[in-house]
Amino acid sequence: MPPILANPLTQLALAVVLGALGVALLLPKPRVRSVAGGTFLLVAAFGILGTFLVLRFGQPMLMRDGTNSALGSVIFWVFALGSVLFGVQVVVQRNPARGAIAFAFVILSTCGLFLLLAAPFLMAATIVVYAGAIIVTFLFVLMLSNVRGPSDENDRTREPLLGSLAGFGFIGLLLFALHQGTAPSNDGFDSELPSVVVSNADRTAIEVAYGHVEAALAIEDAAAMQQHADEAQQALAVLLESSPSISSNDPGAKVQAERIASLKPLLRKLSDASLENKPEALRESLVSLRESLSLLRGVAELPARNVANLGYLLYSEYLLAVEMAGTLLLVATIGAVAIAARRKEATA
Amino acid sequence: MISLPHFLAIGAILFGLGLIGFLSRRNFITMFLCAELMLQGVVLNLLAFGRYHGSLHGQAFGLFIITVAACEAGLAMALFLVLYKRGKSLDSGDWQAVREAGVSATLETEALPAYVPDESPTLPVAGRIPEQPEVTVQEPFRA
Repeated sequence: MPPILANPLTQLALAVVLGALGVALLLPKPRVRSVAGGTFLLVAAFGILGTFLVLRFGQPMLMRDGTNSALGSVIFWVFALGSVLFGVQVVVQRNPARGAIAFAFVILSTCGLFLLLAAPFLMAATIVVYAGAIIVTFLFVLMLSNVRGPSDENDRTREPLLGSLAGFGFIGLLLFALHQGTAPSNDGFDSELPSVVVSNADRTAIEVAYGHVEAALAIEDAAAMQQHADEAQQALAVLLESSPSISSNDPGAKVQAERIASLKPLLRKLSDASLENKPEALRESLVSLRESLSLLRGVAELPARNVANLGYLLYSEYLLAVEMAGTLLLVATIGAVAIAARRKEATA
Repeated sequence: MISLPHFLAIGAILFGLGLIGFLSRRNFITMFLCAELMLQGVVLNLLAFGRYHGSLHGQAFGLFIITVAACEAGLAMALFLVLYKRGKSLDSGDWQAVREAGVSATLETEALPAYVPDESPTLPVAGRIPEQPEVTVQEPFRA
């Protein structure tokens, strides 16, 4: 590769210009529309963007020891490429029904990416809501409108070149910010997601301690509360001894070790409070300990018990938001019926 | 182990593509699908950051975004139906009469290509050639 092309900024600028020209050529227009030229330019642009990502940030999926996980990378690239290519189809398709089908494929591809991000419930919900409901609703409206032959709405585009320059300029700016924002010395900690490394013994210790903290907070009696607090402390002492060291090379283990180490000051506060025999201070430190412990529990179960933990989170911390979302759905339903069912007034 | 910037980049690309479509396409339904494309990019970002911090808060946010998108879809479909009943087309350009004062109208100078209907399918000998419906090519819009 010539040295000028190895510069990440040159790659970004080149990809932005090529991509904008490609989409501008592909967008439906009465005269200058070149499918072959636009496709060629877009393939070149996304190829350059992929090269930029790999050169700058490495492969997307890594094994525990830092080597490239070939299968994981292939899965990521297949889904990423699928979502981007079908996304282009949504934008440039003349026939909106084909655009809607392409959008369904974008949804399926991004759902694959959701699975890679350990969100199986959200994947299922997205497929049901988007590919199942929204697409079908819009195909229904399209069938009603029944356009035959070339028409203004499908075969004309407003400012194709300026529009695609705006969009690709935006993409370029975001990727440039990503390039500037992550540390250039890629030591693997800042830019990689933590893998979850919790042994069964750790998980049991966290569960036992959490149970004792809950029990201690549920009772008023100072002596019984003290006893539960002591047992929680014992369980956590085992956890602190067995946790991996912070200097570990695996970023996931490092994050987990830091999380567990962040329990230390809380435990110190707890033992201070129990030594001084102050029930109020004890209760306060137990509450803060419960918060960190529930976070640790969630981390331990992020991939495995996704639905259970998501439900727990929604109906505890986001209860008000859930109620408001339900109200919003109701209001939107009433509004849609009120708007669409007006017959006599609309023609008057 | 997963790398965060790759997911952010895919989210950014989806958002940018949706932006292009929303700015330049004229069919209401395509414009709406492009807005949904932008929302998908946003959800991808939220999930990636949620995974990065090892918590489920990103997924909770993503769920609320899907809820809002569903409301939006229902309302948008109702509005498109009303607009279609009035203007007999899904073209957003038909509504440029309500543009801001001082903005000049967009005039179409190029004619649309002629409509070539698909050839009728080959029929067996006993069949009758179905009548082709009358084709009306729409006139370009003039403000």
